[in-house]
Amino acid sequence: MKTERASSALADDALVRAAQAGDLQAFEELVARHRDKIYARAYSMMRNEEDAMDLSQEAWIKGWQRLNQFQGDSSFATWMTRIVINLCLDAIRRQKRQRAESIEEMDEDSGGVERHMPVVTVNPTERLERAELRARIDEAMDKLSPAHRTVLILHEFENMEYKLIAQTMRCSIGTVMSRLFYARRKLAALLADLKPAKPS
Amino acid sequence: MMDWEQQLKLQAYLDDELSAADRRRVEAWLARDSEAVALLAELRRTHMALAVGERDHQLPESREFYWSQIERGIRSAERTPTAPERSSWWAAWRRLVIPLGAMAAVVLAGILTVSQFNPAPGRESEMTLADSDAFTYRDYAGGMTLVWLSYPAESESSLSSLVDTLD
Amino acid sequence: MKPITLFAFRRWWRCLWLAGLLVSVGTLLAADFKFEAQLIWATNDQKSPNPKHKPVEAEVRKKLSDLPLKWKNYFEVNRKTMELARGGSQKVALSEKCTLEIKDVDGGRVEVSLVGKREPVLKRTQPLPKDEILVLGGNAPNATAWLVTLKRTE
Repeated sequence: MKTERASSALADDALVRAAQAGDLQAFEELVARHRDKIYARAYSMMRNEEDAMDLSQEAWIKGWQRLNQFQGDSSFATWMTRIVINLCLDAIRRQKRQRAESIEEMDEDSGGVERHMPVVTVNPTERLERAELRARIDEAMDKLSPAHRTVLILHEFENMEYKLIAQTMRCSIGTVMSRLFYARRKLAALLADLKPAKPS
Repeated sequence: MMDWEQQLKLQAYLDDELSAADRRRVEAWLARDSEAVALLAELRRTHMALAVGERDHQLPESREFYWSQIERGIRSAERTPTAPERSSWWAAWRRLVIPLGAMAAVVLAGILTVSQFNPAPGRESEMTLADSDAFTYRDYAGGMTLVWLSYPAESESSLSSLVDTLD
Repeated sequence: MKPITLFAFRRWWRCLWLAGLLVSVGTLLAADFKFEAQLIWATNDQKSPNPKHKPVEAEVRKKLSDLPLKWKNYFEVNRKTMELARGGSQKVALSEKCTLEIKDVDGGRVEVSLVGKREPVLKRTQPLPKDEILVLGGNAPNATAWLVTLKRTE
């Protein structure tokens, strides 16, 4: 109990150092601190509880195994988030392969619909409470394909640059830009309760 | 009507992914193209909407249950030998010394208990020169004695160069 | 000067051979204990970077795996045998920088001294009955380790 209290008072970097030295209790404290964030990221990408649960736990196990690779260039939470993102991407690829598609080739960019959609002028943030807006965004994200959802998550929530997204998703920067553009435009339409116009 | 490349350039402008020269060119274009301004505004609104953050997806399991499964995974992975990650000498040292220390303590306690009943005329083994952190582990059944020196692997005083012939 | 005949040469040769035999027998009788020392590199890598290093023998590997050591593979860097007379001492170089010295102390215990980089590292005295093994070890870079094993073979 005493050590549990002591570890909960420590900063992340001190816990990471202890965990790197083999202290599993310190690692447990890190899990307790960041489990919600890691699970939430897995959920936002996979869109189901079971996968999110499995992949987030797998990420923690991988995190423990690779702990000595963590150099402190980013925060521990960011480092763990990268691990869970990669695991989710692998899982999405596996799912796609089963459906004879691949995330790299998947181009449901709807034949260029996004290029011809009318500009949405509704401001989605207006007249909506924060929680309500988040719920709307979540609903809209659910309607995006995994590839478009992922690129949006990586760019908007993980603040990754195009180049890093391309590396993470193993695609070209052009594909990242294209997917991001489509995802944003579709999201704008969904948030405004509008349906994208059919290609002319 | 904007072409595809222009649309993506507009997005790159929003995301601050353009060079200074391209930024200037896009700004000049925006100054004279209302359609581009409208599209940029839409992209920006979506970006701003997402800035409120994500919905909280709470972990549906208790801390204990969630951790117990992770811990089981860690232990089971450790039982299955895998290629080691490159580790610091400190981590490697701690990982070995902690179990060794515990074992040494048990062995020492055993020796002390036994010696209460069988007082020996003198010490059977003695270490007259070694750093104080050396650990001794005795496997009676296997007829093995392990003496582990705690010199840091990368330190100058390390004995790691004993196997210099590896090079 | 009298020339050396074939007979005389044979006689001299026999004497020399006899003397050699006596010296050998004497040496053999003087060696009360025999030891085998090995310098071993412990690693999780499948291969040693030095092709001259062979995996340790199965028996040694089994013995080492019974110890609380975390490595999967053990490579023999060098091996030396030593003979020791009662009360005597013997020194062997296991590598350029590692020397092992053993000394018989009151006919049953052995004093083991390990010298690394010309500096004494460890001196330990303990009984070492036949077939028992003393393992000295320490961490090496990249999560590997060095081990020196000393086994009394006779």
